[in-house]
Amino acid sequence: MRIAVLGAGAVGARAVRQLASSPEVAAVTVADADPKRAASTCDSIDEPGRVTSRPVTPAWAEGADVAVLAAPVDHRAEAERLLEAGIAVVSGADGLDDVRGLVALDAEAAERGLAVVVGAGFCPGLSDVLAAHAAATFDRVDEIHVSRRGTGGPACARQHHRALAGEALEWRDGAWVRRRAGSGRELAWFPDPVGAADCYRAAVPDALLLTAAFPSATRVSARVAATRRDRLTAHLPMLRPPHRETGLGALRVEVRGRRGAGRDVVVLGAIDRPAVAAGAVAALAAVAVARGEVAAGARGLAGSVEPVPFLAELARRGIKAAAFVGSATGG
Amino acid sequence: MRFLRRALVALGLASLIAGVLRLRGSGGTPPQGGGWRELQGPDLR
Repeated sequence: MRIAVLGAGAVGARAVRQLASSPEVAAVTVADADPKRAASTCDSIDEPGRVTSRPVTPAWAEGADVAVLAAPVDHRAEAERLLEAGIAVVSGADGLDDVRGLVALDAEAAERGLAVVVGAGFCPGLSDVLAAHAAATFDRVDEIHVSRRGTGGPACARQHHRALAGEALEWRDGAWVRRRAGSGRELAWFPDPVGAADCYRAAVPDALLLTAAFPSATRVSARVAATRRDRLTAHLPMLRPPHRETGLGALRVEVRGRRGAGRDVVVLGAIDRPAVAAGAVAALAAVAVARGEVAAGARGLAGSVEPVPFLAELARRGIKAAAFVGSATGG
Repeated sequence: MRFLRRALVALGLASLIAGVLRLRGSGGTPPQGGGWRELQGPDLR
């Protein structure tokens, strides 16, 4: 299989590295707006015949079976171009508008017999796989609540900043409810050593993807961890350039549902550097698409991959999930 | 003039209270009991 990656930033470079360590991938090409960065990503892997760089031209993904979008570009427009060229798409988009646009390509992708995996990153992405894994233990899923802490590279930090100033989407009793981003504080407990963090509603696409994957759910929400400064400055331009990459990030996915006559809660989580986890998730999703394991159409990871083998392969690559044991909401 | 001054004071107070409420938030999750364990072996089969 041949895979092309657009973007050699924090996530793209990790995706290339993960793809290079997958024996079934015959060739990886990486294209970046900064050709030196693409070339240095290839040099760091040092497999000249197998991992190569290309300039960003309309033909950056030519010859690939699957294209991974890991750059801050218009994902919808890029995905449309790729579908026209007969190339399946894995997008790491984490913006609400980008994800909405990609999901709208479902009919076109299905017609062309190609898969478009939407939101293949840390959150959305790994969070969707954890939700699917937890959901499999229920007869019926009633509620899904996702919380996230940490960001990947600069593009992800910018998106986090924008998300706190926008409008959050929540699925509530069968209808979309718009809430002010930065409201609805909840203290979320992430896996150790991240621990507890205040999380707020934000303009993130998780609810959009999870509601489509779990139609029985009556409540779906997503929150991001933020500091007081984040919330206070959310409506201003970023006061200083975003960091290159943060340290540990964390996910917490709470799924409530029915099992037989009773109700139960399953809480899963993960900690890792968000860009590292996002790169691995995007790479595994691309391999799954190239293997033909993902049905044609455009959807999130929860409806695209089998959660157990996906999580097992992630664990083998060092990205480990955890389950909360005990009382999830105290009492 | 007095009316304008009062209106400005009222607006200022309202902004201050709104700012405090926005920063402080409300609600929260009760403390948890339990802990995290890594998913492995049988969890991923």
